[in-house]
Amino acid sequence: MSAATLLGRTSASTEVPPIIHLDNVSRVYDTGRIQVPALQNVNLRVEDGEFLAIIGPSGSGKSTMMNILGCLDRPTSGRYILDGQPVDELDNDGLAYVRSRSIGFVFQSYNLLPRTSALENVATPLMYQGVPHKERLARARAALERLGLGDRLNHEPSELSGGQQQRVGIARALVTEPALILADEPTGNLDSHSGSEVLGLFSDLHALGRTIVLITHDSDVAAAADRIVHLRDGELQEGAAA
Amino acid sequence: MRFGDLIRVALSRLGTGKLRTVLTMLGVIIGVASVVALVSVAQGATKGISDRLQSLGTNLLTVSPGFSRTVGTVTRGSFGSATTLTLDDANAISQLNGVATVAPQLSTQKLVIAGTQNETTRVVGTTPGYLSVFAYSMWSGSFLNEASVDASLRVAVIGATTADNLGLTAASVNNTTLYIGGLPFELIGIMQPKGGTTATDDLVLIPVSTAHELFVGSNSVSSIGVSAAAQADISTVSGEITALLEQRHGITNGVDDFTITTQAQLLGTVSSVSDVLTLLLAGIASISLLVGGIGIMNIMLVSVRERTREIGIRKAIGARGRDILSQFLVEALALSLAGGLVGIGVGVVASLGIGIYAGWGFVFNPLTVVVALGFSLIVGIVFGVWPASQAASLDPVVALRYE
Repeated sequence: MSAATLLGRTSASTEVPPIIHLDNVSRVYDTGRIQVPALQNVNLRVEDGEFLAIIGPSGSGKSTMMNILGCLDRPTSGRYILDGQPVDELDNDGLAYVRSRSIGFVFQSYNLLPRTSALENVATPLMYQGVPHKERLARARAALERLGLGDRLNHEPSELSGGQQQRVGIARALVTEPALILADEPTGNLDSHSGSEVLGLFSDLHALGRTIVLITHDSDVAAAADRIVHLRDGELQEGAAA
Repeated sequence: MRFGDLIRVALSRLGTGKLRTVLTMLGVIIGVASVVALVSVAQGATKGISDRLQSLGTNLLTVSPGFSRTVGTVTRGSFGSATTLTLDDANAISQLNGVATVAPQLSTQKLVIAGTQNETTRVVGTTPGYLSVFAYSMWSGSFLNEASVDASLRVAVIGATTADNLGLTAASVNNTTLYIGGLPFELIGIMQPKGGTTATDDLVLIPVSTAHELFVGSNSVSSIGVSAAAQADISTVSGEITALLEQRHGITNGVDDFTITTQAQLLGTVSSVSDVLTLLLAGIASISLLVGGIGIMNIMLVSVRERTREIGIRKAIGARGRDILSQFLVEALALSLAGGLVGIGVGVVASLGIGIYAGWGFVFNPLTVVVALGFSLIVGIVFGVWPASQAASLDPVVALRYE
């Protein structure tokens, strides 16, 4: 699939398309003998600028949801339109392209590249976009400075605290200016102080108009979002906990 | 992903595990170094042998008595042991066109005594032409002259090794009596060492007429050295000598009782032997290069496993399969190329050392370097592709969860 098609908006209507549009999405794991449904007929719309929390206990399909939304995996059936563009039938390279351009990941375990400076870590997504070295270092530096890590540019992950590592992770998610920031238990490995700092950062980003989807099992964390959906046994329910 | 970025990522990666990088490279270093050094040794040995052959005189033809039959590459017969060549044959050959000088050799082994020193060595009766035919030069004194041959004088010229063995120096010339086979001879000259085999410089030369009278009863010679006027004439001269000797010996059936050897034949044999030698040594050395390549593959496979999570992260933040593939491939190539370059350096130094030690100097063939470098690049690609494609095909979901 060409870059032009990938970038093109498919919606012909005049209304602003949602960032995320899941239409009857199911994901079934085929283990050979039995078929395990992880997501069943999920419908979800996330508008531009929304801060959504998807909350659910373990085994509810959170990881599968995260993989589908993050274009790391494809739905077994149903449509997924991300930022106006259908992504459910893309090949691996096409998905990589969408991840590179449209999604910024924030992981529970930070997932920074080991033995690599904070600056290079944040610059890496830009490398895969083909941005020249100097420019991406400048942009990575700006992103880190915005998150208050201007004095930690050359520190490696092992030299940073958990909260600092997660801020590097957020800087890495922001540096490409993606349509969607996808956070998977971003406070799961942090103490409560660092955790609330990170949630505060998400609120700030939301205030700046970023679209954020936060996946968590913790209702206190989910409370930072302005809209909450519940995931239970692979099915999605809007609104307050049942 | 830009090419410069591939290089940058590969180098920074190799820089973080220096010991492992060096150990992995060591296989390729040893492989390439042994290819370069062994090929250089083979070529140096060849050059050494060729040089020695050329020091015998490039225009030289040697006529030996006895026949030889060549079957394939094996020569058999009574080469050199028959007594069918005579001094008269030598005289006849010297009359031919294109022949510059002729030096018959009447060889025998005798005990040679000088003062308290003695040695049993080769005593050769010959003519003044010997010096130029066999490309010797004088170190001290003078060589045999026509007068000494005509008058069958008891004079002797000795080689440098013989002089050493008998404790003779330049000062000994013209005031020393040598006892050859018990008979007194005056030492009139010592020749410059010619190098090559020690036998070349361990000999005593006396006038051919003296040798004939005192030591070798018959008229037969052990060989006749002939120098052609020009190197280009060698085959013509060889043909003329054959015709002459066949006529003189009454040979009509083509089965000659003599053999003519030229330097060209010897050089040809040497170079074909050396080609085989070079190929053999290069083949042996290639095996170590192959082993080095497997070392690279091994370490790359381990590295892919260790870095599964890193690969998952890279894919999540936008790396395509081919970005990962080229990253690992460039790493393998950087390993093998760096190993190849260091290996060439080590190989050149080693061949220089061996060349100096063995005395043939430094023989260096740029083609070897190009081939060795090309070979190490191929090793990098061949043994890097599989681990790299393993890395590229990892599922990001699985890789991200890998502990």
